[in-house]
Amino acid sequence: MTMKRVFSILLCTLVLTTLAMAQADLLGKANQKYREGDLKGARILVDKAVADQALARSPEVWVLRGFIYKDMCKDATGEEADVLRDEALASLYTAVLNDSAKEYTQSSVPAYYYLAKTMYNDAAHALNDLEPVRAIALFDKYGEALRRMAPDTVLTDRDIEFGNALGTVYVKLYTQDRKQLEWYDKAVSTYKHVLALDSSNYGANYNLATLYYNRGVYNIQLITADNDIPSIQQIQEVSREFFTLALPYMLKAHRMRPDRKETILGLEGIHYSLQDEEQSRHYRHLYEELQHDDRKEKDQ
Amino acid sequence: MKIRFYPLTVGRDVHPGGRTVLWRIASVLLLLLAPVLFGGVIQREPDKDTTAIIQASYIYNIAKLVEWREPAMRKGPFVIGVLGSGNLYQELVKKYATRSIGKQPIEVRKLPETQEVDRCHILFVPEEDRALLPGIMKQANARSTLVITDFPDALSSGAVVNFITAKNTLKYEISLVNADKQNIDVGLTLKQLADRVVE
Repeated sequence: MTMKRVFSILLCTLVLTTLAMAQADLLGKANQKYREGDLKGARILVDKAVADQALARSPEVWVLRGFIYKDMCKDATGEEADVLRDEALASLYTAVLNDSAKEYTQSSVPAYYYLAKTMYNDAAHALNDLEPVRAIALFDKYGEALRRMAPDTVLTDRDIEFGNALGTVYVKLYTQDRKQLEWYDKAVSTYKHVLALDSSNYGANYNLATLYYNRGVYNIQLITADNDIPSIQQIQEVSREFFTLALPYMLKAHRMRPDRKETILGLEGIHYSLQDEEQSRHYRHLYEELQHDDRKEKDQ
Repeated sequence: MKIRFYPLTVGRDVHPGGRTVLWRIASVLLLLLAPVLFGGVIQREPDKDTTAIIQASYIYNIAKLVEWREPAMRKGPFVIGVLGSGNLYQELVKKYATRSIGKQPIEVRKLPETQEVDRCHILFVPEEDRALLPGIMKQANARSTLVITDFPDALSSGAVVNFITAKNTLKYEISLVNADKQNIDVGLTLKQLADRVVE
């Protein structure tokens, strides 16, 4: 071996060692800043680290990045929080993918699912704030996140739960301004979507029936002194369609839970509005019997 | 309603409260349709009483489409009397009490459930007071009164207009014979739009 060759090998080893030390140093410094609570500093370093080809496949760096972004998400709001969370999720997922030795899976997987669940929470929060568009976006991302980690994930129960809540929000928005039929249409299609997933869902049956019924009633409430007899008859015909649409859903809800007073009252009201006095009276008696039983129970 | 936001702690068993919150939202039952409950008996809210709303509108239109032959009936307030049926009374007051029939301002009166009724242009007698109808018709005050009812065979008891149900909607039948007896001329439109006309 010539001196020249020995020198080359030594130089190469030195460069590689320095490089490895620099990479380890970058990761170490990022980790240190994270532990010190300097999330911004940690973020800069960890972003440099993942951009480094040598570290790009290291699960350790992705786990750290996931945790840094996850903690930054805590103090952020709105779109910024969404972006940080997306980054955290993507990092934790990459960590799992690259972690063939399963060294970091134990910490990255729970953190991943935790973040996914916060999206579901935020979707619920958006519904509370009557922001259906944001709620849907978050809920969709929640589903995507779960399926990314476990493609066989079945979310039917969550879909139903979210659909019922979303339908209620649409109804609230429609009730605030009944001229906005867009909300009414969305409420109908949302409840129908829930019923397509589970035709025996009590809430969706009851709420859809109520929505149709209230639409029919509202139509009649709009009658003013300016309406002549032909228009009264037309209004009744339109309302009759809504009452007729409401009936099967309310009946189904009632058959599912015969002791629930709200469906009995619903059927009483629908039949009353359909001018079916006999059926209306039947449900009125049924309701009064339930009231009577309740009082008896209370007295005992 | 505040959402629970779990602290972002790694490695702990988290149970975000999404389900609870969603259930709270979804369980806000749409009680808009529920009548007010009073002592276990259904007391329908006036603004949800579709029948009362439609009946009130018909009554107002009927008032516009008939004429009273008796000169005394063409003066003073136009009185619409209502026996029982509180919701119909409330609906008439709410939407029509500020209106006039010709030059006669409408006055809506809720009448006690007896045969002795005030002199009215229009008197509504509901089914629960049907037993009072024959007695009311014998009263001098009922002369020239257009009696409106909502129960079967009411025309044979002297009612001029009776609300009936046809194809799940509220319509009316009219007796021209009874109208004539009460010195009332029924307009052509009211006749043509009736579901049944007794001549």
